[in-house]
Amino acid sequence: MTWTQQLADELGRRGVSARRRATILLEIEDHIACEPASEQRLGDPRELAAEFADELGTQAARGAVQWVFGALALTAGALAVSQLAIGSGGGYPGFDNGYSVALAIPAILLMFVAPQVALVAGSLALLRSLRRRRAPILPQAEIDLLRRRAWVGAGAGLACAIGLELYVIDFLAVMHTTWIVLVGALSATAIVAICAAGAHLRATGRVIVGASGPSGDIFDDLPLLGFLRGRPWLLCAIVAGGVGVLMAVAEWHAESSLSEGLQRGAFEGVAAAVGFLALGRAIGARSDDAGGHPVAD
Amino acid sequence: MKPNTVKGQLDALILATLDAGPAHGYAVGQLLRDRSDGAFDLPEGTIYPALHRLERDGLLASDWSLEAGRRRRVYRLTRTGKNALGARRSEWSAFAGAVQAVLG
Repeated sequence: MTWTQQLADELGRRGVSARRRATILLEIEDHIACEPASEQRLGDPRELAAEFADELGTQAARGAVQWVFGALALTAGALAVSQLAIGSGGGYPGFDNGYSVALAIPAILLMFVAPQVALVAGSLALLRSLRRRRAPILPQAEIDLLRRRAWVGAGAGLACAIGLELYVIDFLAVMHTTWIVLVGALSATAIVAICAAGAHLRATGRVIVGASGPSGDIFDDLPLLGFLRGRPWLLCAIVAGGVGVLMAVAEWHAESSLSEGLQRGAFEGVAAAVGFLALGRAIGARSDDAGGHPVAD
Repeated sequence: MKPNTVKGQLDALILATLDAGPAHGYAVGQLLRDRSDGAFDLPEGTIYPALHRLERDGLLASDWSLEAGRRRRVYRLTRTGKNALGARRSEWSAFAGAVQAVLG
């Protein structure tokens, strides 16, 4: 087997795309043609393939995270428009005035809960990708964390967009046509954008990065929370309590009803705690390691 | 010179090499070796991931040409690359001066 064939095989084994492989091999073949029998001076084909894969995998993961965040921003825009325009669309219809409560309740739950998960996971993914934008190679563990955050964000964003679409369908006969068309089109666009970003994220996961090192966690991304490192339950209590109090005050102010505020705050606090328990480890927010694994900027 | 020492400065060295004019990968390697009197004796393949990285970062641009019946990728410095090279030169001068002052 020739040196070039070994390089081609190794690039393929590391998941480098056929198109990229062809480009690399064309350059290497030109190099060898400039000075026949110079293959050995090019180095070990395995190491060269690893260097390409490590850099390409790192860059692809960062790029995919930014695509996912873009799609999430579009979804947030669709949700914001749906709420801002609801007054001119006929006002809040009341959850039991649509086709079916069985459609309205899941739609409303998805529209309230999923955006919060998407915001947290998507922002953490984007923050890490920007903070580490100058690193030519990231450890595989850190890339895995980036990708998990992006997947959680994309999943929650998709759930939100589907919830919005269900809401539109449920209230087709109640809301004004303009609102229905506008919000229906925006949420459909968001669904398509998130699916496209997810497909891109999946495709970029094929490149195998061999670099070892720690993944880091939320405390590396948000150093202000450093005093909570190794105390995940205190972090959970602070997050759930903070979200609960914030939502209770907001609802109390909006509805002029303390009891409604308390109900909403309790619901949001419990939802935040459940979210933390279910997804905290996946997004690097729940770490039992008191020492942590600092990741340099 | 140890390969890792050179590798840490490889991006700046490539930018400086291409400051003289466009070149393909093999020529960049030859220029590096010639200008350093053979001191920068890296595995030549190392240059290619660096060239690709610099292009992704917008410091280099490339065009394909046809040379003796085979395709050749020729790299050139972009305006951003020229600015980055200027900054690297200043950093290096300051660093080298400080090291020299300490080492004597």
